[in-house]
Amino acid sequence: MLRIASKLFALSLLALVNTAQALTIFTCEPEWAALSEELAPGAKVFSATHVYQDPHYIEARPSLISKLAKADLVICSGAGLESGWLPALQKRAANRKVIDGADGMLYLSQYIKTIDQHETEFFSTKHVHPEGNPHFHLDPDRVLKLALVISQRLQRIDSDSQQLYQQAFEQWQKHWQKSMEQWQQQAMTLIGQPVVVQHTSFSYLIKWAGMDAIADLEPEPGVPPTMAHAQSLIDDARQEQPVAIITNWYQNDRAARWMSDKTGVKHLNLPATVDLKGDINNLQRLFDYLLIQLQEVQ
Amino acid sequence: MKRKAMVLASAMLCSQASSVHALEVGVILDAYHKSETTALGGRTEGFGSSHSELSLSQDVADLATAHMALVGEWNEEESDLQLEEAYLQSTALPGGFNVTAGRFLADIGYLNSTHSHSDNFSERPLLYRAFLGGHYFDDGIGVSWLAPTDRYWRLSAGAFTGDELGEENSVSSIGTWTLSTEFGDDIGNNARWQMGLSYLRNRTQESGHHEDEEGDEHEEHEHEGHVHGADYQGKTLYLADLVWKWAPQGNNRQKQVKLAAEYAHVDDVYGAEFDHYDGWYLSGVYQFDEKWSTGIRHGRVNLAEEHEHEGEHEWEASHLTETSVMLSWMPTHTQRLRLEYKHQDANHMEGADNAITLHYQIGFGAHAAHSF
Repeated sequence: MLRIASKLFALSLLALVNTAQALTIFTCEPEWAALSEELAPGAKVFSATHVYQDPHYIEARPSLISKLAKADLVICSGAGLESGWLPALQKRAANRKVIDGADGMLYLSQYIKTIDQHETEFFSTKHVHPEGNPHFHLDPDRVLKLALVISQRLQRIDSDSQQLYQQAFEQWQKHWQKSMEQWQQQAMTLIGQPVVVQHTSFSYLIKWAGMDAIADLEPEPGVPPTMAHAQSLIDDARQEQPVAIITNWYQNDRAARWMSDKTGVKHLNLPATVDLKGDINNLQRLFDYLLIQLQEVQ
Repeated sequence: MKRKAMVLASAMLCSQASSVHALEVGVILDAYHKSETTALGGRTEGFGSSHSELSLSQDVADLATAHMALVGEWNEEESDLQLEEAYLQSTALPGGFNVTAGRFLADIGYLNSTHSHSDNFSERPLLYRAFLGGHYFDDGIGVSWLAPTDRYWRLSAGAFTGDELGEENSVSSIGTWTLSTEFGDDIGNNARWQMGLSYLRNRTQESGHHEDEEGDEHEEHEHEGHVHGADYQGKTLYLADLVWKWAPQGNNRQKQVKLAAEYAHVDDVYGAEFDHYDGWYLSGVYQFDEKWSTGIRHGRVNLAEEHEHEGEHEWEASHLTETSVMLSWMPTHTQRLRLEYKHQDANHMEGADNAITLHYQIGFGAHAAHSF
């Protein structure tokens, strides 16, 4: 019943949109594209990256420059995640609406507190960002805050459709809070469970669910796993009996598979974000999927 | 409702405008050992540093970026410090325009406006070393425009003093000017391409005094190692470039194939009784995991050299071909160690040799995002 009602609601929102000029939204990561589609019904949404791409290492290619040049609003995680490519796109696209500091450029990291902030030294060879972990879309609480931030930004730059965005947000929020209750229950069963990770992609989810990342296959954040480092983790893995070794879809999972063979710990290859072209095409479905996968390995 | 108010309040609390523009400082250190000096510039033999860089970048409100790059070079023959870039560039002007003024890399060809620390080989291709002094930067002003088309299409133009292109410049106003255009797009999920056409008009040696310069010009050709200016110049330079990259699912962190080709043609050459020069290269680089890549590049330049024949000075066609093979290891994002073997063959040209280069590079601090 709820589902039908929500569909009807979505349809009525779409009817409202048709009278307004649709916004063009460019997101750096697919999670924000999925969220924007829900919060800005009728907008043209494009994601610069997808679930099979490492968002740290994107090239400032021609097609992305053209897309950015036509955007009314750009939504990115920030916290240094896109520093290797977004500035090059902005420079080439010469779109005043989306330069840093403009209303059309939204860095979400500025609206939440990130975990693992570092003091960095100039002559350090480590590849860590002082701004902290930018993969915060895997924390349901932070997503809730950020959905409001996005909605407010939409309302500011497209005030003619303010009511539409407000309604869409309220609708989304209702669903999200309901889902969160369910996820919290699922997470109860995960508290204290040890896992081995590769990179800090899932840190927020692990923290939110009260799980414990006992080891990272990356010797340093951003440095790919080495066999020597994986070898050094074997004893810990045997002792602490993690429930899973977690990698994500864009990574090379060779070290994780090797470790899984050596220790018998299950290797879980999970999507680090939504798959816009697949079944897990919004954040709701992503959390549903991730929590079920984590529960099943116990 | 209460919950919503809380969410709103916390979102507002956390929101901080990031309008502070910090000065960004970056350092790139380069160190190498090359077994032999090879023809047409590039690195000289022995230990050295070819392109160590200190760069400073500062945003000026939301209007422009000020950028400066000081480049140092040391080897067993000379040491040199040079200001390669010092410019102001608009952030975004209306209509897709941008203006750059000061000293900057001319927006021509594929490699010229990219920084050499991001190159796949330890030296620029032959045609860059022969016709552009490795890379051509100069004092001037440039305008670029991005067309509002669905497919990427960019036009740019520049006017420069011409002082940095060659050792001499006989005009006091605009010594060189450039025009270029580039297109590009994706092909499916895995492949991307870009092509460009450029034109450089060189007026620096137009006043007709080159007849008495022939002797000096020849000496310049023998100036090996570090190249400040282009040794082989002409009234016009045309460049065409094509780049194609392929990565499974577009995930270039794990794997990527990159093919690049450029062709250059110099008309109405200066300082030689000869019709035209030209050159080309083809390169292929295969990055087979996060840390390793290997590649091969082959190129050729067709030039002219002066010879004394029965007491008469004669100009005859010469050429140089070069093949480089490299293996590169990036232990971390900021470091690169590269082993490269280079083979040269020359006809009527001196200095061709084979060489092995071991090249190490490390970066610190802020690092500007790379173009495609």
